[in-house]
Amino acid sequence: MAEAVRAVGLTKTYVTGTTSVVALDDVSITLASGTVAALLGPSGSGKSTLIKALGFVSPADRGEVLFEGRSVVKDGTALADLSELRRRHLGFVFQKANLTSFLTARENVEIACELGGKGDGRRRARELLAYLDVAGRERSYPEMLSGGEQQRVAIARALANEPSLILADEPTAALDSVRSRTVMELFRKVAHERGAAVLVVTHDHRALDVFDVLYEMEDGRIRPATAAGGARR
Amino acid sequence: MNLAIRDVRRHLPRFVGTAAGLGLLLTVVIAMQGIYAGMVDDATILTRAMRADLWVVQKDTRGPFAESSRLDPSVEARASAVPGVRSARPYTYQLIQRERGGAVMRIALVGLGWPDDPGSSLPLVRGRLLAQPHGEMIVDASLGLGIGESLVLAGERYRVVGLTANALTSGGDSVAFLSVADTQLVAFDQPAEAVVLERARIVERLRRTDLGRGQPALEELATDPRWRAPSLASPPVAAVLIAADPHRVAEVRRTMRSWGDVSVYTQAEEEALLLGGVVERARMQIGLFSVILTLTAGVIVMMVMYNLTLEKTHDLAVLKLMGAPRLRLLGMVLQQAWLLGALGYALAYVLGELAYPMFPRRVLITTTLAWAAPLATFVVVTLASMLGVSHVMRVDPARALEG
Ligand SMILES: Nc1ncnc2c1ncn2[C@@H]1O[C@H](COP(=O)(O)OP(=O)(O)OP(=O)(O)O)[C@@H](O)[C@H]1O
Ligand SMILES: [Mg+2]
Repeated sequence: MAEAVRAVGLTKTYVTGTTSVVALDDVSITLASGTVAALLGPSGSGKSTLIKALGFVSPADRGEVLFEGRSVVKDGTALADLSELRRRHLGFVFQKANLTSFLTARENVEIACELGGKGDGRRRARELLAYLDVAGRERSYPEMLSGGEQQRVAIARALANEPSLILADEPTAALDSVRSRTVMELFRKVAHERGAAVLVVTHDHRALDVFDVLYEMEDGRIRPATAAGGARR
Repeated sequence: MNLAIRDVRRHLPRFVGTAAGLGLLLTVVIAMQGIYAGMVDDATILTRAMRADLWVVQKDTRGPFAESSRLDPSVEARASAVPGVRSARPYTYQLIQRERGGAVMRIALVGLGWPDDPGSSLPLVRGRLLAQPHGEMIVDASLGLGIGESLVLAGERYRVVGLTANALTSGGDSVAFLSVADTQLVAFDQPAEAVVLERARIVERLRRTDLGRGQPALEELATDPRWRAPSLASPPVAAVLIAADPHRVAEVRRTMRSWGDVSVYTQAEEEALLLGGVVERARMQIGLFSVILTLTAGVIVMMVMYNLTLEKTHDLAVLKLMGAPRLRLLGMVLQQAWLLGALGYALAYVLGELAYPMFPRRVLITTTLAWAAPLATFVVVTLASMLGVSHVMRVDPARALEG
């Protein structure tokens, strides 16, 4: 399958005062289109840091990130318009849904369509909300939605620009296990039906069977994982 | 999709409340500036209304407004004879206080040099100028008298024939214009009792002299009100106003200065006497206060706008992460700030139009103030929002999302 994003030798060190923390230590990873991957690992192992580097939010100090075969960031320097890239090709989902508070569910998706340059945002937003099974709540503001509904709207928003890469940082941390599993299955559905590469950071080992690939991080290093019960399907 | 409008719609009560608060604050600031401008203008409006080139007053006084000035009426005739003088007219000024319908009326009586000056230089808004030397007056509309109404002063009835706008003294009292002779009647009015007593005193004095004892007929003569000794001066005036040929003002002034009984001021000097003396402290007080108030309001508005922007940090960070261009986010914040500023200013404008006329003293919205106020509002809200946005933009979107 085609590669969506490839990172080579990412290294990132956070320096605060006299202490320095190596958050990424020579991390290389390739995410293929149409697959859903899980990123596991203890707290502080560098998972969020990797997500931010792969999402062109805060680049690593050293190493290279290639997007669809094109070198985009090299040794901390941007070689392309990163915010344009995020707008057009990337989707983010976070632990908290982080919906725009003053926009309704539909508008939250619509603005993402607009930013991603997708025409007829309103129709598309309706379709996406229906696809994620929250069509009934399109006029509600985020604070009126339950955590699970918010997260589904957030996924709809992440899909709005037809992204080739979706990055999700602990998207189910605030949800109970049933809803959590539903959301994970949605990611799988998105990857398989829409051909996006999806990387999900999670601590929830009960839903690992949903994923195609598992990675594990520890002390800034990454390796493929074979979690117990993490069998491929 | 217009984000600014949607944010306003979502937080409508808060937005309206903020706009109302801003509007009230602006109303107060503009009022204070207007009160200051009104005060400075009022202080000099009367001197300006007289359209004189030179003010001739009693020697070594700063009259007729800053202190009283008594000038021999012969100065008028002497001044007229000075080369370069086009006209010289007498002027009197005197404050009186009367009650009318339970309310206190403070009136400044200003004497016009009838018949040369029937009030031609006055800012007349209704009615006409003085048409006869006695019994008529032009009053300022702020006094509350209408045309045709009359006022009894010193036992004589004076009818209002014309109304002026904003003819006020430095103290904010309304002015009534009468002929000089009429103001003198009011000023030197004596009650019957005083006249009787004075007559008795004259007779008494006369009887103590040989002349009086030898010529009893003199008693009659001395007490007859129709008769005045030619050696007694006619009542003094407060000033003589000179209109001179424009290029000979300095020359005329030099000539008059050589006279032993007068001091001469130009129009500008007369105004400076008022601003620098009579209203100086009040002016400084109000001026200082309006500066402090304006600065305070500026800081408050700045902080309000800045905080409004900071409150959006999270939403802006999310949009930024989704790749929204910086200009779009700045635009959203600015549009909102401008809308807020515009609403606030509109409210201040409407409130001002309604409220300022009801203030006891004039609130003068000068043309400078009329454009400076909205401009300053615009600049302050713009600066504050841009400051807020620049602060928000420096926040790492990733960090903002974790919180
Ligand atoms: N902005 C920062 N400044 C300094 N140190 C940081 C910063 N962000 C992360 N770190 C440090 O880098 C290391 C990796 O952090 P990261 O957030 O990537 O961990 P994580 O795997 O996502 O942890 P968690 O599971 O708790 O979310 C940690 O030791 C953390 O303290
Ligand atoms: Mg994390």
